[in-house]
Amino acid sequence: MTELKFDGYAATWCPGCGDWGIRVGIKAALEQLAFDPSQVFLSFDIGCSGNMNDFLNGYATHGLHGRAIPTAIGMKIANHKMTTIVIGGDGGIYGEGGNHFLHACRGNHDITVIVHDNMVYGLTTGQVAPTAGKGYRSKSTPHGIIEVPVNPLALALTQGATFVSQSFAGDARTTIDVIKKAVNHKGFSLVNILQPCVTFNKINTYQYYLKNTYHLEDSHNRSNLGKAVEKSLEVNAGKFPIGVLYQTERPSFHEELEQLDSPLVDRPRFSDFSSFTNEFI
Amino acid sequence: MQFNWKIGGEAGFGIMTSGLAFAKIATRSGYLIFDYTEYPSLIRGGHNTYEVLVSDEVVKSPKWEIDLLVCLNNDTYKLHSDRLTDKSMLIYDPHVFVPEIGIKIPITFGKIKRDEKIDQMMMNTIAVGASIGILGGDLSIFEEILHQQFDRKGKEVVNFNLKLAKIGYDEALKNNIKPLSILKKKDIIDPQMVITGNEAFALGAMVADCRYYAAYPMTPASTVLSILASWQYKNKMVVRHIEDEISAVNTALGASYAGVRSSVGSSGGGFALMVEGLSYAGIAEIPLVVLLAMRSGPATGMPTWTEQGDLLFAVHAGHGEFPKIVLTPGDPEEMIALTLKAFDLADIYQTPVILITDKFLSESHSSLSKKLEDAALEKHKIDRGKIVNDTKETPYLRYLDTKDGVSPMLIPGKKGTYYQANSYEHIEDSHTTEDLKERVKQVDKRSKKNTTYLKNHFELPKIIGDLNTAEIVFVSFGSMKGPIVDAMKLIKTKSAYIHFTHVYPLAEELVQQIFARCVGKRMILVENNSTAQFGQLLRMQTGIIFKEKLLKYDGRPIWPEEILLYVDDNTRSVVEEKNDTKIKAKVLSEDFRKKEKEIMDKLVAEMSVE
Repeated sequence: MTELKFDGYAATWCPGCGDWGIRVGIKAALEQLAFDPSQVFLSFDIGCSGNMNDFLNGYATHGLHGRAIPTAIGMKIANHKMTTIVIGGDGGIYGEGGNHFLHACRGNHDITVIVHDNMVYGLTTGQVAPTAGKGYRSKSTPHGIIEVPVNPLALALTQGATFVSQSFAGDARTTIDVIKKAVNHKGFSLVNILQPCVTFNKINTYQYYLKNTYHLEDSHNRSNLGKAVEKSLEVNAGKFPIGVLYQTERPSFHEELEQLDSPLVDRPRFSDFSSFTNEFI
Repeated sequence: MQFNWKIGGEAGFGIMTSGLAFAKIATRSGYLIFDYTEYPSLIRGGHNTYEVLVSDEVVKSPKWEIDLLVCLNNDTYKLHSDRLTDKSMLIYDPHVFVPEIGIKIPITFGKIKRDEKIDQMMMNTIAVGASIGILGGDLSIFEEILHQQFDRKGKEVVNFNLKLAKIGYDEALKNNIKPLSILKKKDIIDPQMVITGNEAFALGAMVADCRYYAAYPMTPASTVLSILASWQYKNKMVVRHIEDEISAVNTALGASYAGVRSSVGSSGGGFALMVEGLSYAGIAEIPLVVLLAMRSGPATGMPTWTEQGDLLFAVHAGHGEFPKIVLTPGDPEEMIALTLKAFDLADIYQTPVILITDKFLSESHSSLSKKLEDAALEKHKIDRGKIVNDTKETPYLRYLDTKDGVSPMLIPGKKGTYYQANSYEHIEDSHTTEDLKERVKQVDKRSKKNTTYLKNHFELPKIIGDLNTAEIVFVSFGSMKGPIVDAMKLIKTKSAYIHFTHVYPLAEELVQQIFARCVGKRMILVENNSTAQFGQLLRMQTGIIFKEKLLKYDGRPIWPEEILLYVDDNTRSVVEEKNDTKIKAKVLSEDFRKKEKEIMDKLVAEMSVE
């Protein structure tokens, strides 16, 4: 049997797009962790980010916009021995699928959610995303967006996520490192990746992030939720911490299901029906 | 023998518990039952009722006239006076009101309540005890039920309830009323399950090896979620009350992609949120079983009342074109059988299958022989079609073009290969495409599943009664089966019923052949909605048109007596005339079976089977 590779079709992203770096980060992390494509579940959302479906191999779903998290949760519950990764954008994960995101944090489902956070909708030609700063002008908000941005890190931290991290698409080393830690984490892990959209976002550029990101100090206490929330709020002052903000242990969703002593897909068929029909007598 | 018992009172009085207890007393005494409940969308206050029709023979719908009405308040009497006759018996508290009609059986509920220092919740136990007394039933059966209900709450609670049942029993017989033999325990008793449409679905799903069920509560689908949730540690199904119906359908699709049989359920509003997911299941070819329990709409409508108003919505649910199968069981027995079939069909055709019920079927209990059902469930074999655990192919062609439209589906996890369930149009190996030839190839491949289904798994409507001799022919689908079948027993003219359970897609010519046999008969379409949706669907798929329609959409089911009244009103009568019929097929000049075989052979030839 020939060795399977993660490399799929050649990517079609714009030259210079942050997605190139994120794809390399995911691929390198999985290779360094010694996975092959038949050992991972990938759930792609819809958008430029989700278009990675044809560029990164694995047992994958390329489902509906905003629904990559619930799809991945279903995959994980059905076969919890598979490492499960969601790949989506800020629109799908924090906008259209925002409700799923917060409930996935609460449930501590053992999945890794990698978000391409570029503050715009690339594939639909540059409309504002929920993470864009207040006043951001786009085709759909010509007079500037009225809403203040979603704070994904603070949201995840306060809704029960057990691993919350951030990276920058221009920082390959940190991206690989954080994704590896997230995949190894037991429970819900968020990797929010700041990703310049070179075509539509002229504000949050590589230069912008090089200037405004900083690596979390070695002294940062990852197990302190209060400190992590404090770090997550620095975005309000235009500062973006890079690295793992928070990590804690809590049984993941499938571990709390007594019936999942073996993967759901592998167990034998249940057959003692008459004890159930007795209930109706 | 048929006897109609009904209890009414304020919501929160324990009406539902005592109604189910009465139904089980009847079945455990050797009788068959059908029950029907009405309640408003409130937890306290409002008026709740529970009626149980007890019979020696199979009953499938409620009866209009009430034989014994238990009035836990004055409203019960006032709200049901139009369903009482001089022969109706009434249990009531003489200190609260005195009925003007019927046979009076006063019971001083208020006094007992004060003497025994009990709350209103317990009055129903007295009322059931009294009913057993009057109807000549065996009190020990009720005592057994009370034990099952209250044993876990301790001896004191059990004994107190037993005492109240006995008080009711004695009180009723104190009035010099000679007990009837309505509930007289029979010598030979075939144990009966007392089961609703929703419970039948839950049972069927378990037997069909459904391993994942996700839902957000919505009446009248909610009880499926609660039953399956209560069973999950025992049968190892994963059952989730999830954040919304969108998540329900997408987690189910994820689980199904990963290889486990999965299902979701809701009523119209929740189903509306799942529709995009159906479309994904259609293009990515992921098996899914959806239970749609209809209620009176639109929007929030009347949450606890019945209607068949979502049929066309279900048939058309999902953007884009993809195969879909819609089934409409008519009673709990058909619900079990069609649930088993639905999970097989979803796997065989790798596409969504929608099972439709409504509040009337979902929440009404029928009696079903446990012995017969156990035997049927025991022998059920699962057919997963072309779903496999292994392959030698690389690259794996998940969407391989085949003659029957169905591609082999590998359960993910097999080492050495991979593929995607792609919501974009794709080529055979599952990569995205916008190529025109590949697009047409995949659309054609998917739509071939329809032809295969019509050949291999579509079932013609059941004909109840003798179509050859019938002068009146009823046509309907789903839960209207019970009222129509029971109405046929009341109607003097010879009648038959064409009962559709496989409503979409329909085999056009085969269905037309059945209707060709009806020329010259009075055809009546019966539906629990205002726009004759099944009539529209039949016309769309077969060209058949109805002139006479009995439609009801006030939130209540159709009573058999209403069908009788409608039929007897001659001003409405329209006989289907030969020249009038829009049926394309000619009137049968030869045996129907022979023609049916010809059409089947033609279909098979067209398919050029692998």
